[in-house]
Amino acid sequence: MDKAASLVADLLAFIALDGCTDDQFDALALRLFAYQYASNLPFRNFCQRRGATLRNVKTWSDIPAVPIDAFKAMELRSAPPASEERVFMTSGTTGRAARGRHFHPQLDVYDLSMARNFAPRFMRGAERLPMGILFPDEQAMPNSSLAHYLALAKSAFGTPDSRYYLTPEGLDMAGLCAALQESERSGQPYALLGASFSLVHVMDALQAEGRSFRLPAGSRILDTGGYKGQSRELPLEDFYADLTQLLGVPRSHCINMYGMTELSTQFYDDGNATLPSVKSGPHWIRSRLVEPITGRSVAAGERGILVHCDLANYNAVTTILTEDVGLWADGGFLLLGRAEGAAAKGCSLAVEEFVQAATA
Amino acid sequence: MKVQRIQAGYLPGLNEDEVQWHSLAFERDGQRLDVAVPVLTGAQMHALADRVRAAADSHLRRMPVAEIIDAIDRAIARLLDRDDPYRRQAETWLPVVSGYDADMVRLGLTGFFRTFRAAQLRRFVAEDFANPGVLDGFEPAPKGGAVRAFGPDLLVHSWAGNVPALSLWSLLCGLLVKAPGIGKLASAEPLFAGWFARLLAEVHAPLADCLAVVWWDGAGGETGAGAEGAAALYARADTVLAYGGNASLDALRRRLPVTTRFLPHGHKLGFGLVGAQALDALKAPAVARLAAWDVMRYDQQGCYSPHVFYVERGAPVPPRAFADYLAAELANLQRRFARRALDLAEGAAVAKWQQAVEWGSAQDLLLGPSDAPWSVAYSDSLQPLAPTALYRSIAVVAVDRLDAVVPVVAAQREFLQTAGIAAGPEELYRLAGLLGAAGVTRISAIGSMSMPEAGWHHDGRFNLLDLVRMTEIEQSAEMAAQPFAAYAD
Repeated sequence: MDKAASLVADLLAFIALDGCTDDQFDALALRLFAYQYASNLPFRNFCQRRGATLRNVKTWSDIPAVPIDAFKAMELRSAPPASEERVFMTSGTTGRAARGRHFHPQLDVYDLSMARNFAPRFMRGAERLPMGILFPDEQAMPNSSLAHYLALAKSAFGTPDSRYYLTPEGLDMAGLCAALQESERSGQPYALLGASFSLVHVMDALQAEGRSFRLPAGSRILDTGGYKGQSRELPLEDFYADLTQLLGVPRSHCINMYGMTELSTQFYDDGNATLPSVKSGPHWIRSRLVEPITGRSVAAGERGILVHCDLANYNAVTTILTEDVGLWADGGFLLLGRAEGAAAKGCSLAVEEFVQAATA
Repeated sequence: MKVQRIQAGYLPGLNEDEVQWHSLAFERDGQRLDVAVPVLTGAQMHALADRVRAAADSHLRRMPVAEIIDAIDRAIARLLDRDDPYRRQAETWLPVVSGYDADMVRLGLTGFFRTFRAAQLRRFVAEDFANPGVLDGFEPAPKGGAVRAFGPDLLVHSWAGNVPALSLWSLLCGLLVKAPGIGKLASAEPLFAGWFARLLAEVHAPLADCLAVVWWDGAGGETGAGAEGAAALYARADTVLAYGGNASLDALRRRLPVTTRFLPHGHKLGFGLVGAQALDALKAPAVARLAAWDVMRYDQQGCYSPHVFYVERGAPVPPRAFADYLAAELANLQRRFARRALDLAEGAAVAKWQQAVEWGSAQDLLLGPSDAPWSVAYSDSLQPLAPTALYRSIAVVAVDRLDAVVPVVAAQREFLQTAGIAAGPEELYRLAGLLGAAGVTRISAIGSMSMPEAGWHHDGRFNLLDLVRMTEIEQSAEMAAQPFAAYAD
């Protein structure tokens, strides 16, 4: 077995565990670091600029965090390109032309990571549920990690009558309403999953028709990704209040997933009864909150930029520097939006305004 | 934590307890400052506008410009006196609200104020008026008849940004053309304008009611605190002088009546050119030191601050070495004048800019440690003119010939203002011609980019002439008056 294959095998076993100690996490993180340092040239160059070597990286938090923009600039991969690999790309909705790319030689680690985490956090003991997916399928969006994630949710956790309600022709409201009605009638709990903006579109359509549903107890909703300028911007408080009002799903069962194309593992909250909700991940991902320029961890109680060390990211880099602002909370972290739009403090042109002017 | 409160703004004729106060909080080194800024209703704003207009009619407009200059000069003298209470309060609190290093603010204030002494103010007036007498009365016009300049009926200033005391520029322009003025404080520096209005009243009591300083939320004040007052004032003003980003300037312009004169000063993108002549072993380190000062002053927040230095190849000191000199000088200056503490979003923006250099083309280098409170990006090939992340992040770009820079900067015409040049006299004039055509309006020495001289033409405009309207008595009126004289035959 080559090095990569044995790493993957150990990784799969690690994810299958019920938990891990700090030492176990570090041991695998350092093995992955050594592997990526050896086989990923842009990453090695980056580590060298940061003075990080195999010798002085002693724990997962010593691994230099690669900014997510690097996924746009470089091919961050440890395995050579192969025809059967899958490439997930960032949506590129933020106005910048280049899209970040995450190469997956196979998806078995990604899939196990997703399923092992999705089962307790969203299914919460349910084996399968009828699912409505408010997102294009994998054929329509082969480079979308979210399309793959939702396809996996449907195939691994959905009943046979689960289906997509976002087709190339648009949102199938009639079909969706029929499914919701059937759930109301039968008392069989229903799961609605999709992009946050698609849920806004559904709510807009329901409001326009003056319709609402009271889905049976145990029904749940998963939203992810925010609005991305594709729907009206709804404050979170209204978003969850409206979901409860229009679909009859209590806010404790409205779960937000925080994921990124650059990762192979997702974070979830335990419902959105109170906002902002606390996000947490499984034992194979750990996070830090850092001061953006120095990369040092922030003091307790201070906001910082989230760094994630995701052991399931075995081919790219385990440790990434996001652009998301977080704050530690009991049992996880609060997500406080993106660190962007540093407004001009003086009269000198700021990057933000320049980019806006250039794209206007 | 020690909490201090300061009441900002200046409201002649209005009682403090009649108006609402909004609190802006600033924190630095365990010190907290709450600045209360006045928020006026529409009726209060009308009353204030009437008050400053009436006061200007009976006092400011009757003062000859020489007397106005004399009054300003006395106020500036006090601001230059480090023992004066106004100066002391500026040195104490402007670093707290702006976050800038206290010594940097102190030096900056002195350098700035001394460009407004009587001699400089007279030069300022002379820059725009061949015969400054037109501001005081009708003066003979060369074509015949007579001409007089009248300032705005009501000048509204909308200030923005945290550059300390920046409001002084437009306040003085307004005074020199005898305009009653109402200014809107910048939320990031809500102190100086009110202090100046008060100081002016102290040095010359008749001017006490000619200026007012208020606040509302945001530049345009369409919504939020003080929106009603803002709308009332904008409807009354005949001239509006505004600073800020193009988006907020555009929003403001849209809400002004078409007859209102609008004078916007948007955010700018400064750059410098270093020619081969300035790059020998003796001269290059000196130029780099001066360049570092331009980067350091107010952490690049001025409209004149440099973002990029284009450095010519072919001299004994190559561009890469110049970048190293610049980095070393920035490291030195950090010890004397520390960069202001960055909040999370600002820090993230700097980090993002650094990362773009690090992960960009292999020819691009980020000099120095990535966690240093300054950063120099070196690029071996010609780059478009683009803003850096500021806060002492500067790009050095190597070019074969400085002429190659001209089309690159011309592409950003609407953001051009200041260019610093280090080159011999002939080269200076040749490049100035090319840059002027490209849209540059101010060319200074490197090291003086962030210290404009007295009487400069901000954004290439006439600071005073743009404010006035000329009233002419044509020759025909003069001639026609003759027969009506008592002494007419």
